[in-house]
Amino acid sequence: MVGKIIMEKLFTNFTYIGQGIGFMLQLLAGGFAIGTTMGLLLSILRHGKVLAFLVDRFVSIIRGTPLILQLSFIYFSIPSICGVRLGTLAAGIVAFGVNSSAYVSEILRSGIESLPKGQFEAAQTLRIPKYYMWKDIILPQVITNVLPALINEIIALLKETAIIAVIGGMDVMRRSQIVAAEQFEYFAPLCIAGVYYYVLVLLIEFVGRKIEKRRSYAKNS
Amino acid sequence: MLKIHDVCKTFKGTKILDHISIEIEKSSIFGLAGPSGSGKSTLLRCIQRLETPDCGLLECNGKTGFMFQDFQLFPHMTVLENLLYATKFLASKDVYGEKSANYLCMARGMLKDLGIEEKEQSYPNSLSGGQKQRVALARSLMINPDILLCDEPTSGLDIATIQDVVQLLRSISETGVTMVIASHDLDFLTKISDRIVLLKKGKIAVDVHVQQQKDPINYLKRYYT
Ligand SMILES: Nc1ncnc2c1ncn2[C@@H]1O[C@H](COP(=O)(O)OP(=O)(O)OP(=O)(O)O)[C@@H](O)[C@H]1O
Ligand SMILES: [Mg+2]
Repeated sequence: MVGKIIMEKLFTNFTYIGQGIGFMLQLLAGGFAIGTTMGLLLSILRHGKVLAFLVDRFVSIIRGTPLILQLSFIYFSIPSICGVRLGTLAAGIVAFGVNSSAYVSEILRSGIESLPKGQFEAAQTLRIPKYYMWKDIILPQVITNVLPALINEIIALLKETAIIAVIGGMDVMRRSQIVAAEQFEYFAPLCIAGVYYYVLVLLIEFVGRKIEKRRSYAKNS
Repeated sequence: MLKIHDVCKTFKGTKILDHISIEIEKSSIFGLAGPSGSGKSTLLRCIQRLETPDCGLLECNGKTGFMFQDFQLFPHMTVLENLLYATKFLASKDVYGEKSANYLCMARGMLKDLGIEEKEQSYPNSLSGGQKQRVALARSLMINPDILLCDEPTSGLDIATIQDVVQLLRSISETGVTMVIASHDLDFLTKISDRIVLLKKGKIAVDVHVQQQKDPINYLKRYYT
């Protein structure tokens, strides 16, 4: 009898907390999409000369301030500056995206710098237009080489989405805290949240390894 | 065709090219000899504008093709893709479709001439040094250059394969392509070149018209010591 009640409670908590997964994945997908696109642009701009200084400053500031501050800034203080109020999800995606772009651009930059200079020169001597040089010659090699670091970045981002609680986002972590506060019991809800996070991380690692394998196969066969 | 006028290049305070002037005629094959570190690659790289000379003028009438001493094949592309990729961007009088078919024929023909036709689907990492070298040579020819700049095209090759390279280069030279070839291999250089310049300590040590020398190899060898 008692066992049944406990099981039922656990199940309700599991579903209630699990309802935060969709929101969390939206944050992750949106954040990573912005992060990679913007990170890519930043790393290419950094390779040039004109905007390299500005990009450097930007990356340095983003990496030099806490994500929780950046998120609060976008959600609470942008409205008072320019009158546009972003919703929780939008503010989260923007904050995580911009933050991630700094880290992605660092990862890509090191990848670009470690590629032999001759690869750029070869593209140049073959008169391959700049855009295609980046798209078909440089970036495919760089991405293969930095894939493990990029997967780390997705995993880090996934865990950092928990900060969305600061602006009231109902993600897995926040929901587990609500359950805990209502039931005066922390152990079970936190374990449930932990399991959700960990399973998602395992999933990302699994897919990441699959992609790594496929790409390195093409390189060495 | 190609005028090198008073070109200098300094790396970290060391003069690598010291007032070099050479004029190279159209459709001729020009050899660059000289000890290791004498600046052969640097001169080729200056002609290709991969390096900017500190002084002097380079006049180059036509499109250049460049073969790197360390090949620089694209590791994520197969041999055939390495050869064909850049041809996408070539202006062509041909109709679409036919154009790519022609380049495919050209690439396969060249691989065949160089004895590596069975490697067209391989990735560069799985090739031997000499095979990579031949792919690099073929790739530099795919863009139909008017001037071909080759940095050590034979250093990893056996005698028979060198003969294949000589034949290919000769046949291409006959179509009017000018060539500048840097090499350590005096035997190969004298076989293929009309004229050989030997660089030493950044200067031209000797300038030989191969036909006019009885024993060009031994003549050149003296300048190495
Ligand atoms: N980017 C560079 N920075 C500094 N020094 C350089 C650079 N490139 C070449 N050098 C120097 O210039 C000199 C000439 O080099 P280069 O590669 O032109 O010689 P080479 O005649 O082609 O030699 P090898 O026959 O061994 O290929 C060398 O002493 C080399 O160390
Ligand atoms: Mg050299």
